[in-house]
Amino acid sequence: MTATTAPEAALGVLPRADGSAKYSHAGYTVTASVSGPIEAQRRDEHAYEAHVDVVVRPAAGVGGTRERHLESILQSTLAQIILIKNFPRSLIQIVLQVEDSPENDYVNTKLVQASLNFAIMPALIQTAVLALLSAGVPMRATLTATAVAMAHRDGAKKTIVDPTPRDIETAQSVHVFAFTSRDELLLAESEGDFTVEEWDDVCETAKKVCCHSAPAKEGMAMVLDDEDVGGPDMRQFLRSTMKSKVDADLHWK
Amino acid sequence: MATDLPLVLPGETIDATLIPSSQKHPLRLGPGLRHIPPSDIVPTAAGQLITNPVKNSMWIEYNSNRYTPSQGDIILAQILRSTGDFYLCTLSPHTAPATLPHLAFESATKKTRPVLQPGQLVASTGKADGLGPIGVSPGSPGGCVFDVSLGFARRLLMARSREEGGVGVLEMLGGEEGGGLAFETAVGRNGRVWVGSESARTVVVVGRALQETDRGGLGMEGQRRLVKKLVRDMR
Repeated sequence: MTATTAPEAALGVLPRADGSAKYSHAGYTVTASVSGPIEAQRRDEHAYEAHVDVVVRPAAGVGGTRERHLESILQSTLAQIILIKNFPRSLIQIVLQVEDSPENDYVNTKLVQASLNFAIMPALIQTAVLALLSAGVPMRATLTATAVAMAHRDGAKKTIVDPTPRDIETAQSVHVFAFTSRDELLLAESEGDFTVEEWDDVCETAKKVCCHSAPAKEGMAMVLDDEDVGGPDMRQFLRSTMKSKVDADLHWK
Repeated sequence: MATDLPLVLPGETIDATLIPSSQKHPLRLGPGLRHIPPSDIVPTAAGQLITNPVKNSMWIEYNSNRYTPSQGDIILAQILRSTGDFYLCTLSPHTAPATLPHLAFESATKKTRPVLQPGQLVASTGKADGLGPIGVSPGSPGGCVFDVSLGFARRLLMARSREEGGVGVLEMLGGEEGGGLAFETAVGRNGRVWVGSESARTVVVVGRALQETDRGGLGMEGQRRLVKKLVRDMR
């Protein structure tokens, strides 16, 4: 059973970047910096919108095809929520440095390079969103993301929120979901064997984790809900992190 | 301390009761808000929602480091180079240069246009109106530019920055606590402060006092202590 730890975050950790965040959850620690809108290189320039550039750096070694794949997924996800049309011909650069992960990065993983690292994606997305908020980049909405694994244990199907690397190895299928703050599904990546019904179940679980808003969490229902989901309340976490940042910024009011 | 107005995150719905409604003026939206026709007002930044029922305006108050130009802001721009009709100037690092027409300065004509050298500082409004060069007139003291956060620059620009913005460092440095240092400042909304003084030491002390007040988030008492310490170290 995974010991689900509460997520932790710190904003503005890099003093010279426009925005930065450090986030750790489920064994992953990621630091992100955001610069932008800045001048784009000629070849990256888009006439009507900003170019979103995502760079993922692994905890050890240099990035390879796995990181490029993660970058392309994150790029298309984040470009949906940033108001890129506000900044034509400019660049918004997001650099994500993985600092810590539950896997051993020094083991040669070349053989499994074709597979996507699902468990790290929620941490990357969450860190990027926090850093964007810290930079004050105009956004359409915020995002919350989670990874869910579906496993067969003792003949019964079981969904695991925030799976560990061991869970993923033994799981039937692994899924990553991201929802906007308006409860819209923005990102769904899946891997493994699963039926449509199973996918619906998993999606429902992920939605509960991501879209659980605070006002609904009162009284008895909340206790039962929490047991159901078995994950942290991501939206409330995002809100409380931003609240402490805004309070610190506006201490003079 | 923060008033009871709520924290908003991008994409959240703003409670309709908080939107000011006045028959006299049209509703004005400030930074951090966008209007999606016909009638949705959605925040685009995380911060505190501020409304002004008298002016019928609302905006999001938040702090950031990167300046996005907007009309009417008074900014400090640094001249990069001059082209035929324009000066190209930088407002913040790594952004594309802004153009400032030669004729945008007061009483400038085709024959008498201001001559500015690369590296010089000009005050300007966001409508590309030149307000004039800084620290170059004969007899004016030399100075230095310091970078501060945008929120701090806005606080410095408030008409009553001590009471409303909670910044008293400049008054303290020039007053009793600072032993009456003589200096002048120019603040731009792009997060740049020019400090000029006859003495280079004063420039450094004032600049450091501003930057440390900004980064440390100092209150009035903290600022007083900082000023005393800096002035003591200076002597």
